[in-house]
Parts: sequence; structure tokens; C-alpha cells
Amino acid sequence: MTSSDSRSLELKAQIQQYLVQSGNYEIISSKLTQMLLEDGWMDEVKRLTNEEIKSNDSTNFTQILAKVEPQALEMVSDSTRNNVINQIRQFLGEIVDTE
Amino acid sequence: MSQITVESVSQSIYENLLTTLIQDIVSRTTTEEQLLRARYNQSLSPYYYEKSGALDIHGNPKQQDSSVYVHCDRCNRDVSANRFAAHVERCLTRGRR
Ligand SMILES: [Zn+2]
Repeated sequence: MTSSDSRSLELKAQIQQYLVQSGNYEIISSKLTQMLLEDGWMDEVKRLTNEEIKSNDSTNFTQILAKVEPQALEMVSDSTRNNVINQIRQFLGEIVDTE
Repeated sequence: MSQITVESVSQSIYENLLTTLIQDIVSRTTTEEQLLRARYNQSLSPYYYEKSGALDIHGNPKQQDSSVYVHCDRCNRDVSANRFAAHVERCLTRGRR
């Protein structure tokens, strides 16, 4: 890891901490949960997980997660994804100096 | 310094939130399944499903109510299940007339 990588990780951690302390992280998190629930994404991921458990004949968390995660990330609707990222961008715009 | 933009930080916060949610769902589902398998081992089979809707969750066809009999404790008789309510109405008032 280069020093600039660790510098940017540190910056990300600071931003995340600021979002948590200001209560904005909670707002974003509940909004995302709400939208994914309404999209049916939550149920779909649960169904997919059960399907992978059956087809791999395994209940091993690490193994099943490796199968489910990439698909579940893809399954988020564009509107939910854009909506939430815009919201995050907006909060960041209030606290970060951009040049 | 490597490119760190509002865009890239937003993206990474979004991914953090999402992977946390996915891990949560997968962890709860696998634990639930482990528990079911440990508790019911061999006898665990999924509920029966048939598209036409003719069979129930055990794979059985609908049983005719008229072929089922219920024992009436008051008069000690077996009564056809689809007539039991009518029977009870008569049976319970019989002694009070
Ligand atoms: Zn009776």
C-alpha cells in the first residue's frame, strides 16, 4: 500500500465518521433499506440465498456469500442506486472542499 | 495522491452499506437453515408445491368434508363433518325442551 492509498483510506474513514456523528449516515442507511424493501430486493436476495444453499448443498456463510454478493449488488435497481448515491453526494458536498 | 473524489467516496460508502445488508441477509438465512437441518436432519423436506394448485403442501388432493366424521361427545354419535354445526344446534338444545 502506498502512502497516498493509506491517506485516502484515512480520509474516507474520517468522512464516514463525520456522516455517522452528524446523523446523516443513519438517514442514508434507512433510506436505502426502505427503498430496497419496497423494490422487493430484500426478498429476492433471501430467495437467491436459499437457492444457492440448495444448489451448493452448503450452509457455509463464506461460501454462500461469495455466490450471492456479486449477484445481489447487480440486482439493485438503477433508480434506487442513483437516488442513494445522489443523497450521499449531496451530504458530502456540504462538508468537503472540492477544487 | 491517488484520485479521491466526492464521486469515488460516495460510491464506496454506498457499497459499504450494501455489502453490510447482503452479509446480514446471508448470515441470517444460512444460520436459519443450519438450525433447521440440525433439528430435523433427514426428515426435513420442502413443502409440496404444484402449479395447478390441486394438491396441498403435503402433496395430497383435497379431502371431501362429507367423508370425514367427527365424534359428538354429547350424544356419543359420529356425525359427518360438514353437518356437525347443524347437528350440535339440535343436539345441545334437545335436553332443554
Ligand atoms: Zn350429538
